[in-house]
Amino acid sequence: MIIVIPTKEQGEKSFVSEQLGRANYFYVYNTDKLSGEVIDNSYKNERHGAGVKTVEFLLKQNTDILITPRIGEKSLEILLETKIKIYKSNAKIVKENINDFLNDELEELY
Amino acid sequence: MQIAVLSGKGGAGKTLLAVNLANLIEGSTFLDCDVEEPNGIYYFSEYFIKEKVYSKIPVVDEKKCVNCNMCIDFCRYNALIDFIGKVKVLPSLCHSCGGCQLVCPHEAIKEKDELIGWINQTIINDHQIFGGELKIGKETGVSIIEKILQKTSDEEDSVIDCPPGNGCSVMESISGADFCLLVSEPTIFGLENLKMVYDLIKIYNKKSGIVINKAIKNNELIEAYALENNIPILGYIPFEKELALLNSKLNIVSEGKYRPYFDHILEKIRKEVLK
Repeated sequence: MIIVIPTKEQGEKSFVSEQLGRANYFYVYNTDKLSGEVIDNSYKNERHGAGVKTVEFLLKQNTDILITPRIGEKSLEILLETKIKIYKSNAKIVKENINDFLNDELEELY
Repeated sequence: MQIAVLSGKGGAGKTLLAVNLANLIEGSTFLDCDVEEPNGIYYFSEYFIKEKVYSKIPVVDEKKCVNCNMCIDFCRYNALIDFIGKVKVLPSLCHSCGGCQLVCPHEAIKEKDELIGWINQTIINDHQIFGGELKIGKETGVSIIEKILQKTSDEEDSVIDCPPGNGCSVMESISGADFCLLVSEPTIFGLENLKMVYDLIKIYNKKSGIVINKAIKNNELIEAYALENNIPILGYIPFEKELALLNSKLNIVSEGKYRPYFDHILEKIRKEVLK
């Protein structure tokens, strides 16, 4: 299973980004391999449609789970057409958000 | 003569100036290009003929598309995305530039009409009134503004109520204007917004002048900037409750005791245009 979280800094010890489409980085965690990867958000400075490009990115990563504090209307509309499930992040760091998700402690948004 | 009324922020008094100047110019056309918040037309009437405005959005023929993604890479508005191996069109982000159709090597993109808004129109006394209205949820009203501007000609006098700010829709609105009237409030925020629009109209090399609205104190904030940049100050509209109340009830205030303020501004604009 692939879990993606928008992050402020690089890595699993970062806090979750307050924004999704304009996050600095994405942390992509593979639960089968127990390993994570940091990917730069190349669309964070787009003037239009950063959110929808993020959805495109999530699809390319074969994402199963998105953990985010919020999501914009346009991105949500497209995401609802996919199998990706969206969970609400908490105030802890990325690693703990993943653990909390795996322990079924995060709220499913959509 | 075409006068465009602009300001960097909403609520500065664009509509107040545009409506009342149009009222004073005999036989003039009033064009409300503030399509995201079109209210200028209601000073003149509450009944309108509604004309639909369409714009072109791409449709991808999946049989012809080979997922080369050239259209996706081309679109700077990100209105096309790679959706699990298919090109997906996001109409709300599309600016109808037609570029995706041009770059597609397989002729897999066609265009279809999509309703993006309306033009409300009527004739009151000797004034033709046109007001654009953007459909809720649509990204840009530029094509509606283009259509509104076609409703008048160079021989006619017209007044344009522009959208706030200095974006694409403002640039489109002032494209044919002979004079740009910059409405500003005498506050620091008002001054910063004035600088923004003045920087824009300088690029277009338009004649311009400033009206200070809600003039009560701190007028020198705007006056100093005007002097420094050699922009004429055309007049002052006082900060008065009575005026605000009349205006908020859709009265055309240049009909009554406030008329001299607008007469004065209009006279000054005419002089500036002839310069």
